[in-house]
Amino acid sequence: METNYLTDGPVSQKIITHLIEKMGGKTDSGGHMIFLGQVRADVIDGLKVKAIEYSAYIELVNVEAEKIKKTIFSEFADVKSIEIVHSTGIVNAGEISLLVFVSAGHRHQAMQACSKTVELIKVNLPVWKKEIFEDDSHKWK
Amino acid sequence: MQVKVLFFGVLAEVSGTGIKHYHDVRSISDLKLRIQDDFPEIVHYNFRISLNSELTDDDIELKSEDVIALMPPFAGG
Repeated sequence: METNYLTDGPVSQKIITHLIEKMGGKTDSGGHMIFLGQVRADVIDGLKVKAIEYSAYIELVNVEAEKIKKTIFSEFADVKSIEIVHSTGIVNAGEISLLVFVSAGHRHQAMQACSKTVELIKVNLPVWKKEIFEDDSHKWK
Repeated sequence: MQVKVLFFGVLAEVSGTGIKHYHDVRSISDLKLRIQDDFPEIVHYNFRISLNSELTDDDIELKSEDVIALMPPFAGG
């Protein structure tokens, strides 16, 4: 199953810089808003999180990500493009697990639409996370 | 007839598999009972169901080749 929305492992610098370069070609945009979600080294019951292992239902990710984009485009008329990249597999603490990249004609809609896209991802994207601790035990979130 | 069931998140661990086939199931409610018979501890978990990549809360009649997914609360980001 093909997807443009998932990447194996952390969202790499290569993906991020590629998107920035690609957006440069869109001269109808006056502002880009980029959100990068990072794995936090939380301490739970005395154990530190060393990584998160993400899993996803790829077919449904595609369906739901398209729905999210449609919602944002209909609510924010000035938005020109929306890119979503979520990790699957292992992402270590300090690495990037989510990228949302929204371009709009003007800054206000870019910022508002990016924020709303992240919130919709949290609620609607079929992705699950397993926190892996320093002693290799784990906990589903 | 045969349907395919996908287990996600913690439910993949509870069931010990990500995927299982069931034969001759009439409906989603029928399927849920069959899954509970196989994995009794599943009753302790909240999950939503999708049928052929579409979320549903309804008790739908199943047909051969349907794909049903059991999904705990999403936790992306």
